[in-house]
Amino acid sequence: MWRIAFRDLQWRRRRFLIALLATGLVFSLTLLMAATSRGIKGEARHILDAIGADAWLVAEGTAGPFTTTTAIEAEKADEVADLPGVRRADPLILLHTTALLGTVKDINLIGYRIGGIGEPRVVEGRVPDALGEAVADKKLGLKLGSNVDLSGHPVRVVGIATGVTFFYGIPTIFTPIEDTQQVAFAGLPIAMSIATRGVPEEAPPGLDLHLPDAVEKDLKRPLANGSSTIGFINVLLWLVATGIIGSIIYLSALERVRDFAVLKATGAATRSLFLGLAMQAIILSVGAVLVAIVLSRLLAPGMAFAVEFAPIDVVQLAGIALVIGFLSSLAGLRRAVGVDPALAFGGS
Amino acid sequence: MLEIEQLTIEYSSGGYAVRPIQGFDLRVDEGELVLLLGASGSGKTTLLSAVAGLLTPASGSIRFRGEEVTGLRGAAQTAYRRSAVGVVFQAFNLVPSLPAVENVAAPLWAAGVKGRPAAARAAAILEQVGLTDRAHHRPGDLSGGQQQRVAIARALAHDPPMLLADEPTAHLDYIQVEGILRLLRELAGPGRLVLIATHDERLLPLADRIVELTPRAAGDAAATEHLTLAPGEVVFRQGDAGELVYVIESGEIEIFRELAGGGEEVMVRLGPGKYFGELAPLFGLRRSATARAVAPSTVTGRSLREFREQHGADLASGLPAT
Repeated sequence: MWRIAFRDLQWRRRRFLIALLATGLVFSLTLLMAATSRGIKGEARHILDAIGADAWLVAEGTAGPFTTTTAIEAEKADEVADLPGVRRADPLILLHTTALLGTVKDINLIGYRIGGIGEPRVVEGRVPDALGEAVADKKLGLKLGSNVDLSGHPVRVVGIATGVTFFYGIPTIFTPIEDTQQVAFAGLPIAMSIATRGVPEEAPPGLDLHLPDAVEKDLKRPLANGSSTIGFINVLLWLVATGIIGSIIYLSALERVRDFAVLKATGAATRSLFLGLAMQAIILSVGAVLVAIVLSRLLAPGMAFAVEFAPIDVVQLAGIALVIGFLSSLAGLRRAVGVDPALAFGGS
Repeated sequence: MLEIEQLTIEYSSGGYAVRPIQGFDLRVDEGELVLLLGASGSGKTTLLSAVAGLLTPASGSIRFRGEEVTGLRGAAQTAYRRSAVGVVFQAFNLVPSLPAVENVAAPLWAAGVKGRPAAARAAAILEQVGLTDRAHHRPGDLSGGQQQRVAIARALAHDPPMLLADEPTAHLDYIQVEGILRLLRELAGPGRLVLIATHDERLLPLADRIVELTPRAAGDAAATEHLTLAPGEVVFRQGDAGELVYVIESGEIEIFRELAGGGEEVMVRLGPGKYFGELAPLFGLRRSATARAVAPSTVTGRSLREFREQHGADLASGLPAT
């Protein structure tokens, strides 16, 4: 009986094609949402990897280096460097500010000690070797040699880095810590955290020790609402996809009431009619997944956030598509089951 | 052999109990072609539905080759539909998305026959009905006559011993009708009986036997009857054939309709001098309501001619439709 369902797909191909594209678009949005969620979570890990600290020390009672607003003395890094287990310690400033790049742009500003922990890896140009120089994330679109006004403090871009965004894809500018102190603290010798190579056995008085996992968790915490919103939107999109496929299958079942009656009257089992409808819905769903894979790649460059595709998302979507296809066919099932075969005797 | 005994089929229409088939008997031998002749609403299609195992009658028996059809359920019912009976539906009712050969193969697929054997069988039947060259055309690309041939071919897919056809000429012009009539006649032969429901009198010469489902008005031939009724006694019942118009001499008669749920809806009560039951004999219809005495009554039933002579009334005005 699958042939009848397949022929019906061919017969109503325009309608199924429109549904396929619409569902494919919805599915592509779910893939983009998943990739965005993954990208947002991933950028926290990436920035931590980029800084490469084994441990972090922040003012006592604060949650972590990316969320603290409590300053500490920068020279404390030298004390920390002498602690057992520590091979190197450098002061860092991590803060959210704006830069004047023709227009005001939100940036993350990281101040680090030249040659120390937190020095960025560049894909173009070089790392700063003097005050007044900076490395910018490629996403800012800055060229080497261009000048950036950081709250009235000018720096010159000498290097470009990639993938150094956090807090929803906000790009980062790295400057020597003295420049950052000028921008944020009127040149006072203070920092927001101390990053170490090696892990101190215990934190010195007045400081708390945070390991990278805890820092990553702290960095992701403000993103939790965004991630759960994305998850919620994904569920809504799956429901929309179910609605699209369900309505198409239901409409098709409505139009085929006479056909079902005739098939039943000529000996077709209700189960085989349902399987035919389920097959149509599943073909539609799986076809929409294929469309979504292509569309999501095409649409990704338009996303402002970091987007990180993963094969598992496609596998998950395919699984969900099968469930959606099955659920959608239930809409038509009721019609198919309820058809009285005696209806086949009716005229046109 | 098909044997139908005391068959009554009842369904609800607008809340009223309708019995298009009431106390119906029929016996059809293999090789016979029997026409069920009747006007619209006379129960032809309903009767075919019951014989096809698609509709459960209120009472009575349908036996085919000794097997009781009315008691079949589930798998046994499906098996009966697949193997014992082939149906040619009114208006062809082909599946529009399937080419002719697949429309014929569809019942075979439903029975679990694989693709190639089903296609070969379908092609052979299409050849039998003269449509080999149109096998891969969809119904929309076929003429009415060709569609009807495909519908007949589909009904023959399982080589059933009983073929039922509902108004097989209803959507055909006279040129197409000729071919279909010849085909249906050929199909009634050893091992197969054909039962055709129609109101098309062009089919009459085709039949071995004609069964009229529309009650024939006895007209002038109906004999006058005088009835003395006790309260609760019935003059005629809803669904009966009607030949007489009744005049109330004394007492009181109520006309009521039987409801689908078993209740009654009284339409009117009539007293001496009034008449009722004129529409059934006038138009050859079944009684659409029941007449019952509510008090000791006497009524006289007369043929239409006699009634007109005596009363000179306008028969179709001002009275309940019975």
